[in-house]
Amino acid sequence: MTVACPRGHESQATDYCDQCGAPIGAPPLTAGTTHVFPTVDEVDTSPAARREPCPVCGAPRSGDDRYCEGCGFDFHGPPPAAGAWEAVVTADRAQFERLAVAGISFPTDYTERRFVLADGENRIGRSRGNPDEAVPEIDLAAAPADPGVSRLHAMLERRSDGVIVLRDLGSTNGTTVNDDPVPIAPESPVALGDGDRVRVGAWTTITVHRR
Amino acid sequence: MSAFTAECYQNEHLPLGASEVNAIVTVTSDGAAGHADRPEAAEIVIVDTSGSMGAPRRKIKSAGEATSVAIDCIRDGVAFGVIAGTEVARAVYPIDSTLAIASPQTRAKAKRAVDRIEAKGGTAIGSWLTLAGRLFATAPGRSCHAILLTDGENQHETEDELDRVLAELEGRFQCDCRGVGTDWRVSELRRIASALLGSVDIIAEPEAMADDFQALMQTAMGKATGNVSLRLWTPQGASVAFVRQVAPTIEDLTARGLPVNPLTADYPTATWGQESRDYHVCINVPPREIGDEMLAARVSLVEGEEPCAQALIKAIWTEDQQLSTRINREVAHYTGQAELAECIREGLEARKEGDLGTATFKLGRAVQLATESGNDGTMKLLQAVVEVDDPATGTVRLKHEVKPLDEMSLDTRSTATVRVGPAAT
Repeated sequence: MTVACPRGHESQATDYCDQCGAPIGAPPLTAGTTHVFPTVDEVDTSPAARREPCPVCGAPRSGDDRYCEGCGFDFHGPPPAAGAWEAVVTADRAQFERLAVAGISFPTDYTERRFVLADGENRIGRSRGNPDEAVPEIDLAAAPADPGVSRLHAMLERRSDGVIVLRDLGSTNGTTVNDDPVPIAPESPVALGDGDRVRVGAWTTITVHRR
Repeated sequence: MSAFTAECYQNEHLPLGASEVNAIVTVTSDGAAGHADRPEAAEIVIVDTSGSMGAPRRKIKSAGEATSVAIDCIRDGVAFGVIAGTEVARAVYPIDSTLAIASPQTRAKAKRAVDRIEAKGGTAIGSWLTLAGRLFATAPGRSCHAILLTDGENQHETEDELDRVLAELEGRFQCDCRGVGTDWRVSELRRIASALLGSVDIIAEPEAMADDFQALMQTAMGKATGNVSLRLWTPQGASVAFVRQVAPTIEDLTARGLPVNPLTADYPTATWGQESRDYHVCINVPPREIGDEMLAARVSLVEGEEPCAQALIKAIWTEDQQLSTRINREVAHYTGQAELAECIREGLEARKEGDLGTATFKLGRAVQLATESGNDGTMKLLQAVVEVDDPATGTVRLKHEVKPLDEMSLDTRSTATVRVGPAAT
């Protein structure tokens, strides 16, 4: 005669499970779970302990949360298509006025610039025309240039699974996303979706779009 | 067979992520079995009869008298014998390579044989124990106990030889060891007593032997159980950090666990009279979520096959810091007693090596711990070795002149603990 423990083991002892020590009679961890888990496995494989890792940053998903706590990846989002993405660079007056950096003026004439994101890494930065230096794929050096953008500021990675990941590459003035005033941590991946705005420098906003 | 009870003292509440569970388990045996239920016993007294036992002559005489007193305590029907030990072991009584069955006649004959023992020869304790093991083997099914008395170091065999003998005899019989005078080595007798689940003590004056032997034999006759083990079940993924007897003396049992199945091990505890012993059990368990409860260990007593009396050591993970930071009195007390014994051992060792700074620090800490826990017996022994300036802070000075007897007494009895006092109100 055995009893089923809340973690699904078959136990001879009727007070506490003689496999894992869980109290017998406590509600099951997942409704209707009665199947037996491996008995000599040291790894806890019970449903309560299973954590889906985020496909972007690897952080375990907290319960059924929609967004990853690590990078904001949308677990419910549409399956990332292998379609084309582009980054649209604009000058944002609201951002400029919010930051109000002394000695920098808002460009009077700024034409929107578009960059098609290539597979893999797309660096954001400001080249100085030095032939020995690598030119970032998203080069913001053309006038009117934003003096708050570092030479190598951030990176947009288009991964093979179709997910767009932003990383700050240790920029001087930091990188923010959408309306969050807090800069993202350097070198930490942040998943972006269609329409997300990446803000660098004093007024530069880069919006990613699926085409 | 007597009845056991087991109680568990612990703080089962753990903060998130914590994995270490500590508990004190008190095991009490009522020892209330009638004579008829008692397991048949076998007793051997092993007396050192090396040359040094004859100097002064009253030493061998007192040893003989003490052995006679012990023989008088042996109940009718108990198998018994007396061994004299030098560089070889010799049966004093009976001399036919078996054990005698106690009766008024055999006890009288044994005492007459003991009267004639002479002190002459060397010391090879392993050979004495080997002979005891052989004699006990002629009385199968009995619970076997020996008293070993020596006054000197094991000179006629190597440490390896003694270790080999102990490994072979472990579990075959229990042996209480006594050193008389100050020419024997505490570490050596402790090793023997520890392997054979017995006690070790110092007898300062030969005249005190008789009382001690009488007490030992009376205790042995009062044992109401056969061999008993402490059985420990732990869940999958858990590991036993240590199992330590903490009262009446400290004895680490961790390495003695005999696996019963992958999750269960038995720790031998020899025989029990009417007595109570405390055990400190420390288990590492896989951490669970807030609100989860887990049985961290099931402790039971096993005499023969059937487990009797059990205590449950639990773990409950909580966010409530008031619960998880509460310190259990019993666990704290015995953690202190174990540190006390350790400090004395390390302090005396440092003192011997001339490292007086370490010795002062360790023995000072020991004074502080003995004072805090009310361990007056150990405190008195410490005061023979150090001048205590302030017991509360452990400020001490090493005495320049320390009698070997005082130092050995402290060393031998450093593992004696006191129980938890009444709660402060």
